[in-house]
Amino acid sequence: MRRAVVILAVLLSAGGFAPAAQNPALQGPVPSRVEGPAPSRVEGLPARSDSLKFAVIGDNGNGDKTEYDVGQQMAAARAKFPFDMVLMLGDNMYGRQDPQDFVTKFERPYAALLQAGVLFYASLGNHDNQNNRFYKGFNMGGERYFSYVKKNVRFFVLDSNVLDPQQRSWLDEALGRAREDWKICYFHHPLYSDAGRHGSDVSLRVTLEPLLVKHGVNVVFSGHDHIYERIKPQKGIAYFVAGSGGELRRGDTHPSGMTAAYFDQDNAFMLVEVAGDELFFEAVARSGTTVDSGVIRRQANQTGATQ
Amino acid sequence: MRNHVAAAHHVALHRHHHRQHATHAVHRPVNRFLGLPLGVAIALVWANTVPEPYFRLAQSLSFGVNDIGMALFVGLIMQEIVEATMEGGALHSWRRWTLPLIAAAGGIAGSAGTYLAYVNGRYEAILSTGWPIACAIDVAAAYYVLKAIMPRSGILPFVLLLGIATDLFGMLIVAVWRPAVAAPEGGAALLLVALGLAGAMRTLKVRAFWPYLAICGPLSWLAFFRDGLHPAFALVPIVPFLPHEPRKLDLLADPPDDDAVHHFEHEWNTLVQVVLFLFGLVNGGVILKGYDTGTWALMLAALVGRPAGILAAIGLALAAGWHLPGRIGWRQLVVAAYAASTGFTFALFFASGILYTGPLLAQLTIGALATAVGPLLAIGIARLAGVGRFSRAS
Repeated sequence: MRRAVVILAVLLSAGGFAPAAQNPALQGPVPSRVEGPAPSRVEGLPARSDSLKFAVIGDNGNGDKTEYDVGQQMAAARAKFPFDMVLMLGDNMYGRQDPQDFVTKFERPYAALLQAGVLFYASLGNHDNQNNRFYKGFNMGGERYFSYVKKNVRFFVLDSNVLDPQQRSWLDEALGRAREDWKICYFHHPLYSDAGRHGSDVSLRVTLEPLLVKHGVNVVFSGHDHIYERIKPQKGIAYFVAGSGGELRRGDTHPSGMTAAYFDQDNAFMLVEVAGDELFFEAVARSGTTVDSGVIRRQANQTGATQ
Repeated sequence: MRNHVAAAHHVALHRHHHRQHATHAVHRPVNRFLGLPLGVAIALVWANTVPEPYFRLAQSLSFGVNDIGMALFVGLIMQEIVEATMEGGALHSWRRWTLPLIAAAGGIAGSAGTYLAYVNGRYEAILSTGWPIACAIDVAAAYYVLKAIMPRSGILPFVLLLGIATDLFGMLIVAVWRPAVAAPEGGAALLLVALGLAGAMRTLKVRAFWPYLAICGPLSWLAFFRDGLHPAFALVPIVPFLPHEPRKLDLLADPPDDDAVHHFEHEWNTLVQVVLFLFGLVNGGVILKGYDTGTWALMLAALVGRPAGILAAIGLALAAGWHLPGRIGWRQLVVAAYAASTGFTFALFFASGILYTGPLLAQLTIGALATAVGPLLAIGIARLAGVGRFSRAS
């Protein structure tokens, strides 16, 4: 018995986020409660000349009409908001992933953007073949997880399918080294989500969140759930689920106390602008309607918490 | 009068022994194998009600339980196998192994093939890494369900051999799986020292088990850990040095308490129960809506692919001239194949050794737990086919 106790003992030892106003065009049910300071309404994005502008899509690569429609809408949005990069949140390709599929599920739907020189930076989802990281159009440099800098923002792209210790160590180190004003992470599986099908990946959250908080990550984008959802800041980090870039699970959101806004009636993508200490965002439906918008403010002396 | 009292006493004593025997028969599996399901049940409720504290605790205990504690479990399994393969032991004759080995190969091919076909057919190649999990057989579950259906059938040792062979294969894969660990760091030298010490103790006829475990065990563990092998297998090379007694093929029964070796096993049993409870608690908790392609793939592999593979392999072997043990026909084989269709304990163990935290592990864990329906299917089939205690003749 004493041995059992000894073994047991060994085993045991072993940014500023201002919620946006609910957009009148929001087609899904509107959450009844918004915490925090009075929301500052943002009408459109400032589109400043020196800002970083990018779009965000997730769960897009089904090759269906919905993906093509979203692609067209993104191209149309670019006329007014000239973004030059797109973050892909995984499931960039569904079904067969032969060379022809890269044409029908990626190159054609986003042809206008690709021709204009827009760069896509992909993360891997559960439907993506891991070898797709070598595909030039996804700009992953052959890596499952990597980091890159654009203006005053450092992006951290993770492979949430397999969060092995090596990836965790890499993230810890890379985040610790980052000196840019903004730290933005994106990966496929959401740490927070109110979707009914998958929802929050709590085991992943318990592993990842302490690192994100410790190193002052400002914003996290994920997909996997085929909806758009903005989560109220969690431990100072703004979370978005943007997994309806091609796939859609209509009516799948079950808003909770952490829901800031959501849209699950049609496909959607996001437009984001980082200008100094402010990050402006818009969620745009396949129809072109803005369904959510707002601004996240970064504190100058930020060490992790957004306000 | 005295005779009457003596007869009454005799009847009472007989009843007492009978009751004691029956109680013992129930207690034996409960004592030895209830820890894990109990841990899993608590973990499932906990993870699906207050997930964050659960996952925080599970992750903090994970290394201690999976990489240290489970070395005791693997050591115990190794101990049983070593004794059974000794001269006089039930597995000593390789002739007995042949047909179960063929059946095991068929089961592995059937389950791994079905699993890989399903995940690749669904274009989720990332799940391919989980194929060894699909091969796992919960030997204890198979044993007890068959013992309940066909208590004295020759199918029992047959299925035990099949299960052991399959799990040995899976354990070998898991032991060397960790591809991402850094280059070897002198583990081989440490292991040689551990083996040398164990050999010296054996030569000096050390009968107590604890010096082997307390001195050679940690050295071997460190060797495995440093060289990127799963450290839960650390006692595997040490256990053969322990003094042993040959064992009849009743691997899951209580050993006689008559020597140092079996004393070791008795003492370990309590510890292993604690470890298995913690293992279930740490690895069994999963949010149930995390099911996905991997879940279905694993269930299909275990409940369809494996029985089909086992039966097909046996069919081929019989066609090639092998013979089944006496009084076993195809109906019994089908029941046995389904009794061996649950992965549970070993599937969880393989999953924890192969995958890291995240959604893939979650969906495969749900699949591993769901294969627990296998024994129920075996009972259902036995009932429909009139096998064993459901025989229409009896």
